[in-house]
Amino acid sequence: MDRALFTLKGIKPVLWKIGIITVLQSALIILQAYTLAEAISSLFRGDLLSSVFKNLALYLCALMFRQFFVVIKNNSAYHFAAQISDALRKSLVQKLFQLGPQYAGEEGTGQTVTLVMDGILKFRKYVELIMIKTINMLIIPMGIVIYSFWFHPRSAVILVAVMPILIAFMVLLGYAAKNKADQQFHSYQMLANHFIDSLRGLETLKYLGLSKQHVRNIKRVSENYRQATISTLKIAFLSTLAMDFFTMLSIATVAVFLGLGLINGSIQLAQALTILILAPEYFLPLREFGADYHATLDGKNAGKKMEAILMEKSLLQAKEEVPEWCPAREFSLQGVNVQFSDQQTAGLKEITFKVTGAKKIGIIGESGAGKSTLIKLLSGFIAPVCGEFQVNGKRISTLSAQDWQKQITYIPQKPYIFTDTILNNICFYHPEATEYEVSEAVKNAGLMELVQSFPNGLDTLIGEGGRSLSGGQEQRIAIARAFLAKRPIIMLDEPTAHLDIETEVELKDTMLRLFDSKLVFFATHRLHWMLDMDEIIVLDNGRIVETGTHSELMNKASAYYQLISAQKGEC
Amino acid sequence: MEKQKWILPYVNQYRRLFVLSLFLGALTILLGGALMFTSGYLISKSATRPESILMVYVPIVGVRAFGMGRAVFSYVERLSSHSLILRILSSMRVKLYNLVEPQVLSLHSAFRTGDVLGLLANDIEVLQNFYLRTLFPAIASLIIYTVIIISAGLFSIPFAILLAVFIGILLFVGPTVSLVYVKTNNESIKKGRNQLYQQFTDGIIGISDWIFSGNHSKFINNYIKKEEDLYLIESKKQNFVSWRDMINQLVVGTCVVASIAWAGGLSESGETSPVFIAAISLAMLSLLESFLPLSGEISEITTYQDALDRLEKIGKRPSNELNKMAAYPLPNTNNLLLELENLTFGYQQEKILLDGITATVKQGEKIALIGRSGSGKSTLLKLIQGHLQPTAGAVRLGGQNVVKNSLDMTKWMSVLNQKPYLFNTSLMNNIRLGNPEASDEEVYQVCKLVQLDDMINHLSNGYETNMQEAGQRFSGGEQQRIALARVLLQNTPIVLLDEPTVGLDPITEIKLLKTIFETLKDKTIIWVTHHLVGVEHLDRILLLDHGVFSLEGSHQSLMKLEEKYRRLYQLDHPF
Repeated sequence: MDRALFTLKGIKPVLWKIGIITVLQSALIILQAYTLAEAISSLFRGDLLSSVFKNLALYLCALMFRQFFVVIKNNSAYHFAAQISDALRKSLVQKLFQLGPQYAGEEGTGQTVTLVMDGILKFRKYVELIMIKTINMLIIPMGIVIYSFWFHPRSAVILVAVMPILIAFMVLLGYAAKNKADQQFHSYQMLANHFIDSLRGLETLKYLGLSKQHVRNIKRVSENYRQATISTLKIAFLSTLAMDFFTMLSIATVAVFLGLGLINGSIQLAQALTILILAPEYFLPLREFGADYHATLDGKNAGKKMEAILMEKSLLQAKEEVPEWCPAREFSLQGVNVQFSDQQTAGLKEITFKVTGAKKIGIIGESGAGKSTLIKLLSGFIAPVCGEFQVNGKRISTLSAQDWQKQITYIPQKPYIFTDTILNNICFYHPEATEYEVSEAVKNAGLMELVQSFPNGLDTLIGEGGRSLSGGQEQRIAIARAFLAKRPIIMLDEPTAHLDIETEVELKDTMLRLFDSKLVFFATHRLHWMLDMDEIIVLDNGRIVETGTHSELMNKASAYYQLISAQKGEC
Repeated sequence: MEKQKWILPYVNQYRRLFVLSLFLGALTILLGGALMFTSGYLISKSATRPESILMVYVPIVGVRAFGMGRAVFSYVERLSSHSLILRILSSMRVKLYNLVEPQVLSLHSAFRTGDVLGLLANDIEVLQNFYLRTLFPAIASLIIYTVIIISAGLFSIPFAILLAVFIGILLFVGPTVSLVYVKTNNESIKKGRNQLYQQFTDGIIGISDWIFSGNHSKFINNYIKKEEDLYLIESKKQNFVSWRDMINQLVVGTCVVASIAWAGGLSESGETSPVFIAAISLAMLSLLESFLPLSGEISEITTYQDALDRLEKIGKRPSNELNKMAAYPLPNTNNLLLELENLTFGYQQEKILLDGITATVKQGEKIALIGRSGSGKSTLLKLIQGHLQPTAGAVRLGGQNVVKNSLDMTKWMSVLNQKPYLFNTSLMNNIRLGNPEASDEEVYQVCKLVQLDDMINHLSNGYETNMQEAGQRFSGGEQQRIALARVLLQNTPIVLLDEPTVGLDPITEIKLLKTIFETLKDKTIIWVTHHLVGVEHLDRILLLDHGVFSLEGSHQSLMKLEEKYRRLYQLDHPF
């Protein structure tokens, strides 16, 4: 059992409880075998059936109580594991939100969701199984050996002696199988994924005119895969073979020695039978432990991974007063640096600028220059290495403060549409909005026509499983949300990059109206927006290389000008 | 019965292996019983204090043989059943591939085709467990059941009937009750879990928005609450399973007691020797235990249902695509004319997507096709390739209807689309897919044309670099260039470009477009695009709107005559 488990809160009483029940259970297992053996041997001696009735009844009672204990044991382990994983889930989800979008973005949404949802279930199963199986393995065989030793030391010696041999073989063969699997891991992976790869690329094969003949490859690779798998399994199954072999052999040997003992009269039939019945029970806990070993390994690893997430440094802080932004105020950054742990993603260097009042700030630069990173920094989703922020002259230690973030509306490339009604999606930032406010926002965002075209109007379900919206319509939902929230700051990260040009034309006026008298940070590749910006920040390799209006920068004929020329394909 | 298509045919096809696996499975269990039987017999016989050990020599050999035999047969059985399963999986893969292959292009693009197909591939793997965990053990148990009843019947019919009833509880009643109870339970767990998955994924995708909203504790509490609700349902199942297993154990105990009583009765009346009492009871104890896992395994059948349903559905899909007829050879001409004649199409009858389109494209002409997403641009490309049957009208290539020639179409048309798929094999193999007969030299040649040669030569494995390992390292632009190299090798007179620059940054885009048009300068090009970067050098621009071409003409003439076009163009070229 993993040492880390002992640190789980409240595990000790549960372990004690399970341990005590297991001791009782062992006693019942022996009683069960004993009564059964008694009944059989008394019949063997020629006693009447009625005389063994008491023993048979006792046998059934022992069986019933033993199984009853199993139920109690399972239930308490189950509930304890659930309790532990509930607590873990809660702190894990909270942690994810404290780490912000950066973490989930790096790990991948799918991976994060799988870890939290499936990982916790696996961990729960692990905690549940490992407690019971380990305690069973420690207590039950010992009870049986002590009993056997009392009546027939030889049998006990055989049982005890075979255990280390058995474990040694299993471990050795386990390693051999792992080695074999590691050796051919690459070709194995390739074969295993070939079919999925083929299906995913089927469209391309079709365009290339190869799809019909490709079925031959599928047959061939499947066949190779089968052969490779079987050759690995031949070794992997050996450890079970070793377990079966030694178990069976030692039961057979015990039987033979018991027989010899009976012939020379050193043991009674009832005792010999008891030991014989107990022999398989002796090996049972080990077999069960082996059978669940891989399932528990998964859970153990998931637990470790979650532990690692909980150790990450949190980003978000609730406590920091940030003055409310309003048009007359000033916001500045001084010497801010951002660095990522992997060297490939460029950070930000020496970011310094100042904004006064409701300005529209365009952020532009080649891909990889740090546009998105700057937006994330301003949103408080990345902690800078150094530098300082000021709002209206007040120094702020971090932008990851709730007071700052609740002033921001965020419009990314793919806005967040969750599975719910249009109304709830629009009211996301402002759940208490009145009907009038909502309909104004819908009108302003240019969604009226769409909403009216649905029979259920604002109560129409959208998102996964609901009505699917086009990219432009999704952006309008985000815009309506922003109109309704009336927050003073807007962050935009490539909101129109994936839209077709007709949709972009239609959206432009709506968006410009939304920007009115707000502080806007707008990162984009689409140059036409620059004409509407009050100031443009040009980024290159993580540094601000130029700032100014469009015409100022054009006249300078420097970085901005070159960027535009490059985008036109003129250099 | 739905299972017929994906399960029974394979049982039939691999009859012999199937029977072998079952035989070995049953034999393993029986040998376990035989071991205990002989052991019981051995010590009972020994208890009669025979004069010589030779009197029990045969059972001594027997216990060893049965013990070792059981272990070995169990090993062989596992290997043979896995080998059978892998064979079945092979056949299933081929079957699935053959089912999907004709309809892949008509699968509705509302969901990402690749992902859906990946899911189907997983479904097949899931069915593997159905065979190994449910089907084999169930049938093996039936065999053991029959053997026990018949052997008991040889001695006493009433006892055989008694056993048939008791074991029947383990074999039929337990699993059935369990199946009925667990089924509804499993369904609500699955439903709840899927919903939760959805909700949580939504939440993680929108994590920024939740943080900005300041309401994320609401989301967290809601999620935790739902998990707790789900846990209550799971606990019910867990509880049921615990008690079910306990009852099964009691049934086994009762059977053992009954066997002892019966064997005792037989020996009392002198029909058998008392040495068999222990033998029979121990054998029963061992054999009956093999029935215990059955309830659990049978009741999990429901978990395979989804996989089966999805596979079934893909087999039943009405395909928009046509059964291919024999291919007519197209006239091999340098002046290949592509004609759209009153082309009309809709995926559903009532919703017309393309409404009587007529156009002619000459050999070597370069055409841009613009329009909103969902306006039918990609559908039009599929019609041109003859993958869809028009509702009315026709597409003709060199005077022949493309639909009738679709087998051969890849010789005339190649496609460069939004996300070209790069297979998990070497770079060389990926490019050579364009023309499997191409020599290495030819591959180097096209790589040079698409300006990939420098990049590839800098890779440590060069052309032998595996895509999967390097996949992350190739940028979007490079991936498109690899696909373009493939298209160049395919060397068709017509190339269809389906938004190949979506998702690329503007500088990469413009460079890629430059390469595309340079390398394809002799070809007919139909280029679907969603904005107007790089359209200046094309011969004609078509704007698809509400099923018809609402604007048509060269860039220059459209700029002169059409206010709408000017406005769109302005957005892409503001200064």
